[in-house]
Amino acid sequence: MTAEGVYVYAIVRAEKALPAHATGVGSPAAPVRSMRQGRVAAVVSEAPPTLRARRRDLLAHQELLLRLSERGPVLPMRFGMVVTDEKAVRTQLAAHEAVHVAALEHLSGGVEVNVKALPAQDALVSLVAEDGNIRRLRDAVRRRPGYEASIRLGEAVAAALESRAVEAGQRILRELAPRARAVARGPEVQGCVLNTSFLVSRDDSDAFRAAAERLARANRDRVELRLAGPLPCYSFVSADGTPPRTAGV
Amino acid sequence: MPATTYSDEVVACPPRAGTLYDVLELILDRGMVIDVFVRVSLVGIEILKIDARIVVASVDTYLRFAEACNRLDLERDSGSTTIPELLGGGVAKSVGKRKVRRAAENVGDTVRKAVGGGDKDDSSEPSEASEDEETQQDRPRKRRAPARSGTSRRRRPVEA
Repeated sequence: MTAEGVYVYAIVRAEKALPAHATGVGSPAAPVRSMRQGRVAAVVSEAPPTLRARRRDLLAHQELLLRLSERGPVLPMRFGMVVTDEKAVRTQLAAHEAVHVAALEHLSGGVEVNVKALPAQDALVSLVAEDGNIRRLRDAVRRRPGYEASIRLGEAVAAALESRAVEAGQRILRELAPRARAVARGPEVQGCVLNTSFLVSRDDSDAFRAAAERLARANRDRVELRLAGPLPCYSFVSADGTPPRTAGV
Repeated sequence: MPATTYSDEVVACPPRAGTLYDVLELILDRGMVIDVFVRVSLVGIEILKIDARIVVASVDTYLRFAEACNRLDLERDSGSTTIPELLGGGVAKSVGKRKVRRAAENVGDTVRKAVGGGDKDDSSEPSEASEDEETQQDRPRKRRAPARSGTSRRRRPVEA
């Protein structure tokens, strides 16, 4: 199996101890170890011979990072980072030690909370009540039922649900932003109108979630919010490990 | 993964990470990439992202429904007709699904947290292997299907 290389989960501070019985990807789950290099360490395991984006392996990656991030700052690797051998890992760590240390410092005490906004599922009633154009189209369908009219109505409803969700979602994100240390836009996700991650102090993360839930309730006829977190700070390390890119809401 | 992996400072209802599905794009699209780190089958992962989303989505959906059913059982009287139908008829079908789904929404994050935490039995090797194979065979078709579906279908690509 060694021929498959070394799977890298994260970079952490050198002094950080691994959680007990930490395991990683693969079946059976590979034991995880820490490779110290100067002031930082890479958390690694052997890479399984056939690594794919399986549910089990994705969860193993995520779970380990969650456990690590409860013990101090973590630079999470994207899923699937495999290096040819330990020497290559050490070379990398040594070459970028200062950058990694700075990035760990930046993330210290922080967690990621991800907020996704989707069009509200039960928004139809309030939409019809509030939107004159939709009401007109609906009346048209009632007067002269037909395929064309139905398509026009349905299209207008879909567009209106989406734009209401975007509008309400952006308002919520703006209200949440001051509570966060940094904000990063997430990748586009099918079905979501907004996807944004917040870097929040761990101590504030409950309050942050509570605030988000409160805003979600207040806007439930416009937007459905989905919260995930505290998470490892995936969105607050840039791909090359330098301190983060952040974006306005 | 047992709940004991979480530190003691978080109590009764710990804020959890959501279901895997909710964070999949972060695991696959964010996080560090370092040049000397060769991403496993670079091309493969890009394609698999979409497949993984489908497989993970269906499992997560089932887990959510299961949790929602349990909730309903506790909160409503036993006369409710939809629950046995659902449990007997499989989640992928019909009328009751929307109700349960809505229930899942309403129960909200609590459910997601609970579901996200209890991942013990969802990765049994044989079924997962067959899922993988199936996904592979169906890839071209399945990949396109969700992309065409409406915005509100996000969590039901299985049906799409």
